[in-house]
Amino acid sequence: MIDKSARAGPPVDQPNASPAHQRDAFLNSFFRRGAELTDELVRENELYRERIAGLEKENTSLRTAVASNSAIHDLLVTIERLESEKQRLLSTVHEHETLSSRFRERFHEAETELESLANLHVATQQLHSSLQVPSVMQNIMDLLGQLVGAESIGVYFATTDGTELIPIASAGVELSSLATIAVNRETVSPSTEAILERTYLTGQIYIRESSVESPPEACVPLSFQKKAAGAIAVYSLLPQKRCLGPVDRALFDLLDAQATAALVAAYAVTTGHGLTPSPESLRKLCS
Amino acid sequence: MSAEYSCLVVEDSPMMRQLLVLALSRLRNVRITEADDGVDGLRKLATGRFDIILTDINMPIMDGLKLVKRVRTDPNHKDVPIIIITTESSEEDRRRALQLGANAYITKPIQAPEVIAKVRELLKLAT
Repeated sequence: MIDKSARAGPPVDQPNASPAHQRDAFLNSFFRRGAELTDELVRENELYRERIAGLEKENTSLRTAVASNSAIHDLLVTIERLESEKQRLLSTVHEHETLSSRFRERFHEAETELESLANLHVATQQLHSSLQVPSVMQNIMDLLGQLVGAESIGVYFATTDGTELIPIASAGVELSSLATIAVNRETVSPSTEAILERTYLTGQIYIRESSVESPPEACVPLSFQKKAAGAIAVYSLLPQKRCLGPVDRALFDLLDAQATAALVAAYAVTTGHGLTPSPESLRKLCS
Repeated sequence: MSAEYSCLVVEDSPMMRQLLVLALSRLRNVRITEADDGVDGLRKLATGRFDIILTDINMPIMDGLKLVKRVRTDPNHKDVPIIIITTESSEEDRRRALQLGANAYITKPIQAPEVIAKVRELLKLAT
């Protein structure tokens, strides 16, 4: 800052000032003015510098903001892409789960079928494995007791004229407690005897539905040469057997078709004293 | 070469015995010997070495629980896993069998996959 008071010379506008004085006064005034202008310029320069610094700072801030917005934009695009991929993967997972669930169902079905076939194979083999009536009857009881899970069983055979069903064997219940059943086509009461009778007459397997509380659990017709020969009653099931299913029904079908034939064959051998027929008698029958 | 395991099936019902043999035949490397009651079972145990025993309870001459007791005193088989397969379903029967030394208790009618899974578990076979 220039001290103006130190530079003050003789006044320029006095008429009697000498040329040297006027010159000095002019120079002083010139330099003073120059100094003032310089000060002003320096001040302005400082202001501009401050302004520039401010603008530079603002510029940096704006650049950062722009870069950040750009990054956000990129992130949003990436997020959108990842969301689409996620949806695609979820859809694939769902498809696989559905497929896997179908495979599991099919596997379970195959296992159940295999179980049924194994039971039928064993039951068929064992039903015809003996030609002794007691053994055949024991096999029938085993089939129902061990494979089906029957707890109490009654086996009834029809008389020759078909008017009565006579109990011939039992398991889990005294045979003497089972009564002969008169085959009366007019019987309508929903008793065990009525159900047995209906099973014998219709040849249809009866399996108790969950809405019915009274026994029997099942009744199985016994057929021989396409005629009704008797019926089996399953009065109760083992406690661990909750209900009868398709595998059991398949076994009932087997009993219906083959139990009587096995009994009759065993009976024929027993009454024939175990003798096999001669080749001649067989040839005669075959011709 | 994979190991072969020897299984003894003790069951008086031929039908049930055949069903068990059929189920167990699905396991690889398991050789099956059959016995039709407890006494026959002991006879087989005296002449062979078994890795697992499946036995019914209700059998003539010697029942399954007596068999389990005898097996647990046999130095050759005292640690062999024993599976009871029976129609008896009460908790008392189950507890008694396990106390006598049986390792598992399965009620009839059987589900073959359950029997196979239990044998696999006790023999530590790979699935």
